[in-house]
Amino acid sequence: MTNLNTLASAAIIASLAAVATPAVAGTLDDILARGELRVAVQTQGPPFSFMDKSGQRSGSAIELTTLMAEEMGVKVVYLDFDWDGLLPALMSGKADMLAADMTPTLARATKVAFTKPFMYVGAVAFVKQGGDIASVEDCKKPGTTVAVLLGSTGEKLAPVVFPEAEIKSYKGGGTLLLDAVASGQANCGLNDSSAVKAQAAAYPEGTFTIFEEMLSKEPLAYAVRYDSMDLLAWSNLFIDTVSLDGRLDTNLDYWVNSDSWKADH
Amino acid sequence: MLGGLNTRVMMEYLPEIWQGFLATLFLSTASFVGAMALGVLACALTIQPLRWLRAPAVVYVDVIRATPLLAQLYFLYFGLPRLGVVLPEMLIGIIVLSLNSGAYMAEIIRSGILSIPRGQVEAGMSTGLGYMQRMRLIVLPQALRTTVSPLIGQAIVLVKDSSLLSLISVVELTRAGQRIAIDRFMPVEGLVATALGYLVLYYLLKSAAGAWQARNSIPGRG
Repeated sequence: MTNLNTLASAAIIASLAAVATPAVAGTLDDILARGELRVAVQTQGPPFSFMDKSGQRSGSAIELTTLMAEEMGVKVVYLDFDWDGLLPALMSGKADMLAADMTPTLARATKVAFTKPFMYVGAVAFVKQGGDIASVEDCKKPGTTVAVLLGSTGEKLAPVVFPEAEIKSYKGGGTLLLDAVASGQANCGLNDSSAVKAQAAAYPEGTFTIFEEMLSKEPLAYAVRYDSMDLLAWSNLFIDTVSLDGRLDTNLDYWVNSDSWKADH
Repeated sequence: MLGGLNTRVMMEYLPEIWQGFLATLFLSTASFVGAMALGVLACALTIQPLRWLRAPAVVYVDVIRATPLLAQLYFLYFGLPRLGVVLPEMLIGIIVLSLNSGAYMAEIIRSGILSIPRGQVEAGMSTGLGYMQRMRLIVLPQALRTTVSPLIGQAIVLVKDSSLLSLISVVELTRAGQRIAIDRFMPVEGLVATALGYLVLYYLLKSAAGAWQARNSIPGRG
């Protein structure tokens, strides 16, 4: 018994000591020590992160985080997740950083620390071309079904913009939304304009009508954990730096604000 | 490890979990009934002698058993509308689960029937019993006893398979748990709540199987 007690006390003291030691090694130090920056990205989320025609990982977030790793002097390692798996991956420590077209909502920010926004987007509604629905107003009619992505800001926005419609939440990548609308399982879809435009490009011309009207204005930001304040400070400086030297604009103009990337990927 | 669970949030989502539980119960029950009907039919067609009646049943069982349930689900959900058939996801879910489980049940029932010694059927024939009479009086009562356990086993699989329906926006137990994970960023709480729901369903089925066996055990055959 005494032996057990001694052992237990020793274990407690040891663990206390571990806790009490000043936290010298931050996440940034860990990254530099292991030589790799681990980034959680969406498997299929063009134009931010996706596998292109030749099977290469590409997209705006991929290029920016590769640049980050270069500036840090480490390798970058990507971890693939569905949209709703991104936050758990970051929170559980599998990834150092989450790089996606994610809106820094106050709710999300109770769990993870967001960087400065790297751009602003808005949500748009889209429908199947040639159907009965001719405007955003038509999507608001009672009995209309609106497809949104599970856990997305569109899911939160939908009941506000379409209070009378029936909301269907799909789990997985954004293309599932387009499939749901294309197949008639839902009348309207609601998602970020950049995502909708990029994903609709993979379908035959004339499959969808995307309504131009921006239904919301949302910032987009990357995220780290709250125990990674060093990495957060560094990431914010990185965003400042690349927006001043023009590398951010080059990235966004190519990937997000135009269709230029479609020729190459 | 589970000491850190936020039970307050889990209680807050109890109504959603309960709704999800009921939906899963309903989906599973409806699919079980559908699967039994399909299973009995497919089995009856496979063991009867006419080749042209047997072929479609064999193809059905083979195709279903050879393809993943998720593929079958997406095939019907996104495929049927191309043929102009748009059904509510709840109904598609029940159809897919019935089709899927039905194929396995057909095999279970078939193996139960084939387990009846040939001699008994021959004895029935020699006493002048017709095909239907032999089935009703000799084969099926015995075959049923041995198939109940595996059938309930298949029902347990079916209950868990119904979680895939969350992918086509059906709100059931798994989706209800995902809500906690997504709204409150508490994946562990969501998964634990979901798991507890399935555990309750599992024990209901298990005790049903136990009760059935206790009532219908055959002396000397265990």
